[in-house]
Amino acid sequence: MSAENIIELEQIKDFVQPGDRVWVGGWTLVRKPMAMLYELIKARLTDLHVVNQPGGPDTDLLIGAGCVSKSEANYIGHEVFGHPYNFRRRLEEKDGSSDFLHDDWTVGTGTMRILAGALGIPFIPSKFLRGSDLMNPDNDGFKEIRATDPKVPKKKFVTMRDPFWEGEECILVPALRPDICLLHVQEAFEDGTCRISGGVFLDYYAAMASKTVIISTEKIVRGEQPKKAYDENVIPGEIVDYIVEVPFGGHPTAVHACYDNDPLWFQEYIEASKDTESMDQWLEEWVFGHDSFTNYLEKIGSKQLDRLVADPTYGYSPNIIRRLDKIKEVA
Amino acid sequence: MKTEYSNLEMMVIAASRLLQNDQKVLVGTGIPLVAGTLAKKTHAKKMKMLMEAVAYDCDPESLPFCVADPRAVYKTKWLPTPVEVMGQYLQSGKIDVGFLGGAQVDKFGNLNSTCIGNYNNPVKRFEGSGGASDIALMAKSTIIIMSHQKRRFVDSVDFITSPGWYCRQMDGRSQAMRNDMGLSGGPYAVVSTMGVMKFDDTSKLMYVDTYYEELGVELETIQKETGFEIDVSRAQPIHPPTPKELEILRTKVDPEGIYMKY
Repeated sequence: MSAENIIELEQIKDFVQPGDRVWVGGWTLVRKPMAMLYELIKARLTDLHVVNQPGGPDTDLLIGAGCVSKSEANYIGHEVFGHPYNFRRRLEEKDGSSDFLHDDWTVGTGTMRILAGALGIPFIPSKFLRGSDLMNPDNDGFKEIRATDPKVPKKKFVTMRDPFWEGEECILVPALRPDICLLHVQEAFEDGTCRISGGVFLDYYAAMASKTVIISTEKIVRGEQPKKAYDENVIPGEIVDYIVEVPFGGHPTAVHACYDNDPLWFQEYIEASKDTESMDQWLEEWVFGHDSFTNYLEKIGSKQLDRLVADPTYGYSPNIIRRLDKIKEVA
Repeated sequence: MKTEYSNLEMMVIAASRLLQNDQKVLVGTGIPLVAGTLAKKTHAKKMKMLMEAVAYDCDPESLPFCVADPRAVYKTKWLPTPVEVMGQYLQSGKIDVGFLGGAQVDKFGNLNSTCIGNYNNPVKRFEGSGGASDIALMAKSTIIIMSHQKRRFVDSVDFITSPGWYCRQMDGRSQAMRNDMGLSGGPYAVVSTMGVMKFDDTSKLMYVDTYYEELGVELETIQKETGFEIDVSRAQPIHPPTPKELEILRTKVDPEGIYMKY
């Protein structure tokens, strides 16, 4: 990547098209590229096909904002904070009006699929899925579109006996081939090289497997050469297409050594997401109502943000009130 | 230190007692994390606790919100990716115990964390498998932990997210016993808010092994809160929590009450 590919947050929408398969990096509540997602929602993008494994508030929010027509994931949720009501509601719609398709996977198979994408191979054998109802062809969430949608594998999986060794039953799962990979990292250099601390999860493999890779970073390190601490660099700049500097760009998720999860955000969001009307109000207030991300952070307020700042020894903040049922009593 | 204790505390303590020093334990998010951490801080200090997203051999000082939390990373000896933890350690059979929760469990230990009702038109939809399906399939043994209610302990789960002893066959439709399918592993125990259930060696049906007598749990109550006929003939009262177990759980493992809701 060259220095002219350092972009502004507002430009993100120019690189993502309806129909794109989007990998959102991080892991459920950790290091999600939230600032970039707010920008895509503001651009009223629709028909996204989310392929990240697993999803957290990122995916539930994109679904709630009407940006997603298809998702394949092993999990969509907010872990200990509460339930993903936008995701739930779309699948529980009884009148058949839902045009949202969801295909269920597992962490094991999701991992194998993005690994296959990174390896450049079309599919990969796996031992996972066996014994579960995920193998029932009736439960293939994409069964109606596999024959016609070129962005969806023609089959969910194929079973095969190992032809080389003992003949054990294997499951062949298709590679994931995201069009867009959106990641949030702690540091990036001007040439796109990324540093991540506190666990890389599947971010490197997703970057390798994706056609276009856009990284938001807490900080762009200017001048200093990445080789100075090469062992901390986990994604080479060569496979990165664009970087954008967004301090607090992962809020409300946790970014190791930078800041913690924001329980107050989760409390308000999860409550609002319980029905479409309050969800729309939430979107107006927190996404459409801001002309910049700086604006959004100002609305959160420095008092709340300061409390999230990570302790350098721990990598998280020992100061946050973590119980949603007690937040109001203490805060 | 008050000596009274709750069913939730007894559940976590009973589950932690099932873990041992020489094991590699892959823990799921939520209560399994609490019980695993308790074991690490009491009788199983040498046990290796793994988390699917990021952690090999962790011993958190503060309970993580999820398996990727910086709290899971602090002082952890190695930070692998899911390619190593799930693709390699788990898939190649190197995990001794998988430790899982769920929304429903049935008499064969099949677990559901996907939906209630028909999958294609669910009455209630849950978050999905995460790594649970893989862990229940590939760990050498599985421990399940969940609240004991009739709507959770069912004759047959609405959706087999994580296979127990009576699994879906390769056609995805018919069912067969796990051993007949050539699958290894399987559920070892279900730890609930009323007792510890195990599975009969021959029939693979769930039975009550121990129950929380000191908390007033009666075998009739367990049967009443179980959606299938459960064998209680082998049931013994469990050893109540030791003061040390309670103290460490309350002061070191979950002092904030994030999971224990003090």
